[in-house]
Amino acid sequence: MIDRASVVVVGGGIVGSAIAFNLLKMGMKNVCVIERSYVSSGSTGRCAGGIRQQWSSSMNVKLAMRSVKLFEQFEKEVGMNIEYYQGGYLLLAYTDSESDDFVKNVKMQKSQGLDVDILTKHEIKEKFPFINVEGVKLGSWCKSDGHANPQIANIAYAIAIRKMGGEFITHTTVTGIDVQNGQIVGVQTDNGYIHTNTVIDAAGFESPKIGEMVGITIPVYGERHQILVTEAVNHFLDPLVINFNHNYYVRQTRHGSLIMGQGDVNPAPGEDIGNTIEFLEEMSEKMVRDFPIIKNVHIVRQWSGAYDMSPDAQPIIDESKSVSRFIYATGFSGHGFMLAPAVGEAVAEMIIYGRTVTTDISNLKMDRFAIGIEREHNVV
Amino acid sequence: MKEYDAIVIGGGPAGMSAASVLGDHVKTLILDENDALGGQLVKQTHKFFGDHAHYASKRGFEIAKELTDEIYKKPVDISTASTVIGIYPQNTVAYVKDGREELVRYKKLLIATGAMERQLPFINSDLPGVYGAGAIQTLMNQYGIFPGKRFLIIGSGNIGLILAYQLAQTGAEVRMIVEALDKVGGYEVHANKVKRLGIPILLKHTIVKAMGDESVQGVVIAEVDDKFGVIPGTEKEIVVDTICVSVGLIPLTELAEQAKCKIEYIPELGGYVPVRDERMHTTNSDVFVAGDLSSIEEATTAIIEGKLAAMQIVKDLTKTDLGKEISDELKTLDIFRSGPKSFKIRKGLEKMGIKVPEIEVPKLFQTPIENAKSKLHAVIECTEEIPCNSCESSCKFDAIKVGENINTPPIFDPSKCTGCAVCVTACPGLAIFMEKLDESPNATIGIPYEFLPLPKFNEKMWGMDKEGNYVCDLTVKRVVKNPNKTNIVYVELPKEFVDDVRHVRYPKKESPFVCRCEEVTLDQIEKIIDSGITDFEEIKRMTRITMGPCGGKNCKMITLGIISRKTGIPISKLSHGTSRPPVKPTEFSAFLRGDEK
Ligand SMILES: Cc1cc2nc3c(=O)[nH]c(=O)nc-3n(C[C@H](O)[C@H](O)[C@H](O)COP(=O)(O)OP(=O)(O)OC[C@H]3O[C@@H](n4cnc5c(N)ncnc54)[C@H](O)[C@@H]3O)c2cc1C
Ligand SMILES: Cc1cc2nc3c(=O)[nH]c(=O)nc-3n(C[C@H](O)[C@H](O)[C@H](O)COP(=O)(O)OP(=O)(O)OC[C@H]3O[C@@H](n4cnc5c(N)ncnc54)[C@H](O)[C@@H]3O)c2cc1C
Repeated sequence: MIDRASVVVVGGGIVGSAIAFNLLKMGMKNVCVIERSYVSSGSTGRCAGGIRQQWSSSMNVKLAMRSVKLFEQFEKEVGMNIEYYQGGYLLLAYTDSESDDFVKNVKMQKSQGLDVDILTKHEIKEKFPFINVEGVKLGSWCKSDGHANPQIANIAYAIAIRKMGGEFITHTTVTGIDVQNGQIVGVQTDNGYIHTNTVIDAAGFESPKIGEMVGITIPVYGERHQILVTEAVNHFLDPLVINFNHNYYVRQTRHGSLIMGQGDVNPAPGEDIGNTIEFLEEMSEKMVRDFPIIKNVHIVRQWSGAYDMSPDAQPIIDESKSVSRFIYATGFSGHGFMLAPAVGEAVAEMIIYGRTVTTDISNLKMDRFAIGIEREHNVV
Repeated sequence: MKEYDAIVIGGGPAGMSAASVLGDHVKTLILDENDALGGQLVKQTHKFFGDHAHYASKRGFEIAKELTDEIYKKPVDISTASTVIGIYPQNTVAYVKDGREELVRYKKLLIATGAMERQLPFINSDLPGVYGAGAIQTLMNQYGIFPGKRFLIIGSGNIGLILAYQLAQTGAEVRMIVEALDKVGGYEVHANKVKRLGIPILLKHTIVKAMGDESVQGVVIAEVDDKFGVIPGTEKEIVVDTICVSVGLIPLTELAEQAKCKIEYIPELGGYVPVRDERMHTTNSDVFVAGDLSSIEEATTAIIEGKLAAMQIVKDLTKTDLGKEISDELKTLDIFRSGPKSFKIRKGLEKMGIKVPEIEVPKLFQTPIENAKSKLHAVIECTEEIPCNSCESSCKFDAIKVGENINTPPIFDPSKCTGCAVCVTACPGLAIFMEKLDESPNATIGIPYEFLPLPKFNEKMWGMDKEGNYVCDLTVKRVVKNPNKTNIVYVELPKEFVDDVRHVRYPKKESPFVCRCEEVTLDQIEKIIDSGITDFEEIKRMTRITMGPCGGKNCKMITLGIISRKTGIPISKLSHGTSRPPVKPTEFSAFLRGDEK
């Protein structure tokens, strides 16, 4: 193993990998990613792969739009087909207050330059005749939203990082960070010591543990989310459909299988990522009601993963005030995959230029929690 | 007009064994339409299962030769190329030889004309390229002519299975066997021989039509419901140039009818069959029947029935006391027919008024073979109750026991096994393998091999599993040639796969599928590993291996084997992923509670 690096990224999930990739792309040398297990062993390996731009805060919309630009170029830039498909996102509203929110959001999103529309119940029925629209008030529809395969994207980054001369070390755990006088001097792993002055904490829901190593508190916690996949069926579902009211999302992969999940009704504590039979029952009930055609489709596998939740369900991306060049990118709260390319770019810019250049992410700084926070509404 | 004490029509195993007995006692003539005696046997290149005392584990054409040689030693008149065209009053048989009619008289007549292939109606079944199984065997095994390159076989009885195997031996591609029933008709060991070559057996499927203008260019197959009706929407096209129909045999009863024997419809015995008693006597006091004509069965039963009929004829004509011999043969027949596979025959015979004693097939239990692991020993994979005892008879060391009831599956005593492997070459089902598992990470297995060219020392081959899927690469360590052409190829392979590999083949140009559900090839996996992705979980995410409906039951171990081979890390040290529910794909509807309302 190498013993010196200009940057050590802790965590080889999609976020850490995207950061390392962008650092290398911007010309930085000796970039090193340390991953405790295999590539995509964390939340990224359990992720549904949805990529949307319809958010309730304008800065989130901007960041997501930048990500979509980068996903569109992913195959060319990173070098692998990641099953990216822009089939749109359809959000369904069932109550008046939800409808009001959607209308307000769409207005704001349009002002950011996003091609997004409100669909009436009738229009939804026309466009997606297989959806049972009983009770639907309206929908919000953005056709450039879509989805991709997060696991392949993660591995694609890893391969690219190695090709570009970076180190991507798997099956190695960061166990400590050496700090002297507020400066980082090195990273201890169970496989050896690496001298460095810059550490990026991209350890997902375990990022607080890395924070503790340098004495800072990161208000992120894990929350179990369950998910399932079916056998492959003929393509019928273009968009990813989100139903906040019935609490689910569903998409169809390029391979044909349906991937769907919900916010856990009985959340288990942070690191428990077991499966429950209730999940299958709850999902079957509502999915068959809203999508009657899938009644006899077979469920092939269920699994679960942790969302890295922050108090306002928005990412926390910042450099520590107390330890210089300790940067964290965490708290993605169930949408870290879709933001990763843009976040990778922004964080790389922070490290190389000292500030973001392409996209402003100042709303994601830690100090917002001191000021008082507005929670992102649009999460499942 | 020449007169004989006994005339036998049909020179198959039934007719020949009868003529052989008759010749010792009375003036006998045997007639057969073919140029040589042997009946069905001459077309058969596979080893017959059955009773060792009745030629089992010899190949069909060899049995024919032995029976023929025996007959030629006896004072029997043999007239081949003689087609019987009718039975006439005053016990007259008319036959045509060399384009001329001949007439002969008998005191007693044995008809052993065997059976013909059943036809199957489907659209375009008259296209060139549609054959019966027998026709293909005749062309291929007797004349060395190959009717096509890509075959579809209809029917999974023993004949269809054996034909598929013989075609594969010639290098032809057998796309699949389709079977309308929900289970394979033939013996399990024969089905296994075919499956491990990678030939799928599609149950609950039938042919809808043949396609092509001048000759067969493809078929449409479809799934059938419980009443054998085609389920609309399940039709599939398959590209083949030859269709082989093997859906059973029908007894050739015309001559028996003309001889005024009563004929009855008993589907369990094959359709219309002559009514006869236990000793093969028909309703005409001068006429006997034997073999497939009396019930579609096996060579062994045909031989015994032929003998029985012959002894009864001798008894009737000469008053020789053959009581003991007859009851011995009857007992052998009863035991032979006591297995589950003879259920239909027993039922059919009962309909005819022949009592078949209930004989239970003893249930013997195989003790675990732990203590034999480190030495080379046999592994017997024959658990179905079929009438066969070739293995028991082949073992000089008393390590294999079938016992008095030939339907009992063999029991193996590893402590007596010397590793001589004679049983491997004797087993007609190719269901015996050799195995040696010691401390080393590699194991040795010996596989019966009936293909050409024979592998050579140190050659690299692919190990294939029971379904014909690729398992691992392996190395040939020894090839033992055997005069009966069942050679044994000993190979070395990672010990994790000793229970999986049941066939070896030369590597193909196209990469083999490691995962059939998701169609992932060996090549794809190797390329990913070469790109630096060496974790099972990463490879899984990249290729979808183990992510299909079967949950990776087969391909997981195989993938680990590939990773181990490429990285040098032993399989036991590799991480192997997590099993996630549901273990079997389950419909959403299964979880609906309020559905009934
Ligand atoms: C069921 C489910 C569905 C989701 N669906 C979506 C979706 O549709 N769209 C979307 O955008 N997002 C979705 N997400 C969220 C998304 O998966 C995450 O936000 C994203 O993967 C976070 O990436 P990450 O790299 O920060 O974290 P991770 O992928 O968890 O990576 C962190 C890595 O750090 C490693 N690590 C931890 N501690 C150490 C240490 N001490 N030393 C070394 N390495 C360490 C871990 O092994 C892990 O691999 C979903 C998540 C779940 C669970
Ligand atoms: C592919 C295949 C595999 C088999 N495998 C086995 C096996 O492994 N073990 C086993 O025990 N059995 C096996 N059998 C079955 C076995 O071959 C038959 O049960 C057996 O041959 C029947 O003997 P038979 O004498 O009744 O009839 P056949 O062997 O059919 O002989 C009848 C003879 O009568 C002749 N004949 C018919 N009509 C006339 C006529 N009018 N004039 C003159 N001659 C006539 C026919 O040409 C033929 O030569 C197999 C059969 C097939 C087709």
